[in-house]
Amino acid sequence: MSTPTETTEQTGKKVMSNGKMLSIEEMLAGLKKATEAVKKQPGLMKSIVGYLDVVSTYVERIANAKKEGKWVASHGTQQPLEILEAMDVRGCFNEFWGVASDIVRLESVPEALSVSASTGTPTEVCSFFRNMDGLMHAGKWPRSDFFLYATSCCDNVKAFHTLGRRYNIPSFGLERSYFPYTEHWMEHWKNEYKRLIAFLEEQTGKKMDYDRLKETVRLSWRLTELHLEIDKLVAHVPCPLSPECFSGTLVAIRLLPGTQKGIDFLTQLRDELQERVNNGIGAVKNERFRVMWTSFTPFFDPTLMPFMQQKYGAVSVCDMLSHWRGDPKWMLDPDDPLGNLAYRTVLAPGNCQYSSGVDVAANLSDKARRFKVDGAIFNNNFGCKTGAGYGPIIKDELMREVSVPTLTLDCDVLDHTFVSRAEVESQMDSFFEMIETSKAYKERRKLNGATPAKHTNNGGI
Amino acid sequence: MNTPLKALDEMIRLTSPFPESVTVKDWRATGRKVIGWFNPYIPEEIIHAAGMLPFEVTGNNEPVEMQGAEAHMHSNSCSKIRTCWQLQLDGKYNFLDGLVSSHMCDQDMRLFEVWAYYKKLPYMDGIYAPRKRDEEGVKLYLTDIEEFRDRLSQYLICRIPDQHIANSIKVYNRGRELMKQLYELRKRDRPPVTGAEAVEVSKAARRLPRERFNELMEQLLDEIQRTGREIKKTMRLMIIGNDLHNTNQIANLETLDAVVVADEMDVGIRYAWGQVDTQLPPMEALARYYVLGRPVDKHHWNSDGRLEFIGEMAEQYHVDGIISQMVRFCTYNGWDKFDLKKQMEKRGIPMLEIDLEYGHPAGAQVKIRAEAFMEMLESRAA
Repeated sequence: MSTPTETTEQTGKKVMSNGKMLSIEEMLAGLKKATEAVKKQPGLMKSIVGYLDVVSTYVERIANAKKEGKWVASHGTQQPLEILEAMDVRGCFNEFWGVASDIVRLESVPEALSVSASTGTPTEVCSFFRNMDGLMHAGKWPRSDFFLYATSCCDNVKAFHTLGRRYNIPSFGLERSYFPYTEHWMEHWKNEYKRLIAFLEEQTGKKMDYDRLKETVRLSWRLTELHLEIDKLVAHVPCPLSPECFSGTLVAIRLLPGTQKGIDFLTQLRDELQERVNNGIGAVKNERFRVMWTSFTPFFDPTLMPFMQQKYGAVSVCDMLSHWRGDPKWMLDPDDPLGNLAYRTVLAPGNCQYSSGVDVAANLSDKARRFKVDGAIFNNNFGCKTGAGYGPIIKDELMREVSVPTLTLDCDVLDHTFVSRAEVESQMDSFFEMIETSKAYKERRKLNGATPAKHTNNGGI
Repeated sequence: MNTPLKALDEMIRLTSPFPESVTVKDWRATGRKVIGWFNPYIPEEIIHAAGMLPFEVTGNNEPVEMQGAEAHMHSNSCSKIRTCWQLQLDGKYNFLDGLVSSHMCDQDMRLFEVWAYYKKLPYMDGIYAPRKRDEEGVKLYLTDIEEFRDRLSQYLICRIPDQHIANSIKVYNRGRELMKQLYELRKRDRPPVTGAEAVEVSKAARRLPRERFNELMEQLLDEIQRTGREIKKTMRLMIIGNDLHNTNQIANLETLDAVVVADEMDVGIRYAWGQVDTQLPPMEALARYYVLGRPVDKHHWNSDGRLEFIGEMAEQYHVDGIISQMVRFCTYNGWDKFDLKKQMEKRGIPMLEIDLEYGHPAGAQVKIRAEAFMEMLESRAA
């Protein structure tokens, strides 16, 4: 962890240093610069430009909300963003903000965490929220009209109420069951959306336009269809998806459901992946290992996935956060947008893992089969009690059901200083060596006991 | 040294050895079942009405090495759930026929899930604990406990009748009333029991058949009245935060010139709080009590009421200072910490914050901090 520093402002008042923490303007400028840079970089998927454009657009919409007469809701998981979209409310997803900070400036998060710690917030709560806490304390969190959150498993959502109280920002929480897949819970969940709409109407002074809501829900369903098409393409061997676009579907589904922008991007991504499949182009020349991330991808170190690809020929083919639960045909009745949304949000990527570990493991085992996974990596986020509780169940169940071993990496979801890169690489060296010599791997690869050719540098990005 | 309380000694005898006590053994010897429960959103009355013994799953006065448990839950889980799981791995909870937990906190549910995955018991169930204290929350909780009652009835192969639940409510209400009387006595300038003793009483309530506990509780109150027992210490403390089942942690504080007179723990005053309304249909009455009838706790999103409750209790019990203890990795207490400190500062109540591992004795460092805190309180008083 980095050490907080103190500087003296012109007033002479002692304050925490906050020069590294990103403001929204800096975030936007950084993303635009990155978009220009990738255009010139050879060897990347073309969709990376669209990917960064989606992210930039998302941030820009938040930055311009006020002057465009829109509201901003900072929020956590489980939110029906289609409702927000239909009410001219722009979402600012707190988890995304930390991830984007790591993409733009890796030093921002550790400094925000130091500021958070200086207020007395314990360091063992989740960094997604500590990052928000630190940025709010420093006045660098995007201007928010209200906070929206939901029970899931994650108890950290209490932070929304706490910070709302501290900074005088109204908040609304949705009650969601730990295991919501029952009739009475789905009915309740739908009713919670009615209460959410009432809250938004009160805050904005606008009435919900239900025709507009039906349209945002229709667009969202199209986005889901595209996601499922992309999943099928990504399951191909060799995997056509490169690390720079790995989170493309997640970004579209979690940030811009109900918008044409999201659809346009996933259409572009799908077409490029189809083209690569048709031409037999994989993420690497020699795909040796297919990896599934069973908690989250390494947000804390955006260079890790390309590194794995280059050093081990280990291609990331799927992850838990981009995963739909079961068969996600959530568009049941086009005239019942709230009922549809209730299903969408509990089945959706980034939401459905807030459930029992056994349920999550069953879904991941199925995914491991479909994506022909050789090994799993479980990022054990220090501040995440959900992961700490169900990580071992997922690990044991994957081995039992599909003979897929798991590497557990202790880390912080956002803070790259928490664990040394050398330590991570050392664990990966052993892990991939172990997979390569395993019977299950040889059987999967039909190696019949033969030792696979030694890996040479794949020349990835 | 104060005279030992005979009734409390009997409670301790009956609940020893921990956890499979003489009482548990006697209970099971007659063919009756024991259902473990894990947090305060489990309506023990329903288990009691089913003729089973509700038994709280916890650690106790001995610290537990948790390395074995960490094979099934990572070390960044709270040490309470790791302790309980370790005790299970050590075979200490083999006497349980079932386990019921609620989604009061994610870690509680994770323990439940690990238990269900690695050592499934004949009966296992979970209930949602609403984060919002409103009518919707009551409705939600009522549906969940009705389903719990149905499933427990199926396990029993016998419907648990309303009348049995109504009777159990009366028995439990009596227990709360008696425990509340003890809390009232602790408001005296010289309270009759130490903080450590009071928590032992509450622990016994959660481990004994409630009728037996009520009898002993009546004896305890009578004994206090007869003997005029008084704890003669200068400073009055309140303990807040996570549950402490290792009463040695409190006893260690009380080796200083201080006595713990109040708390806000689930194993403390919250357990003695209020009454279930006997005029309502029993299941609805339970839902109203468990969702609305007790003080706001750490799991509620809107914890404004919790912070006020702590301040009010501190004033009612005339405490000189608060010990805020937090078991590491408790997310809820983590997010209340900042505002709690501010609010207590506003009220002029000094507070010592201690981070600890559940069940482990307060080490020398904590003792030094507590001594310094006491010195500060003494200088304030002077």
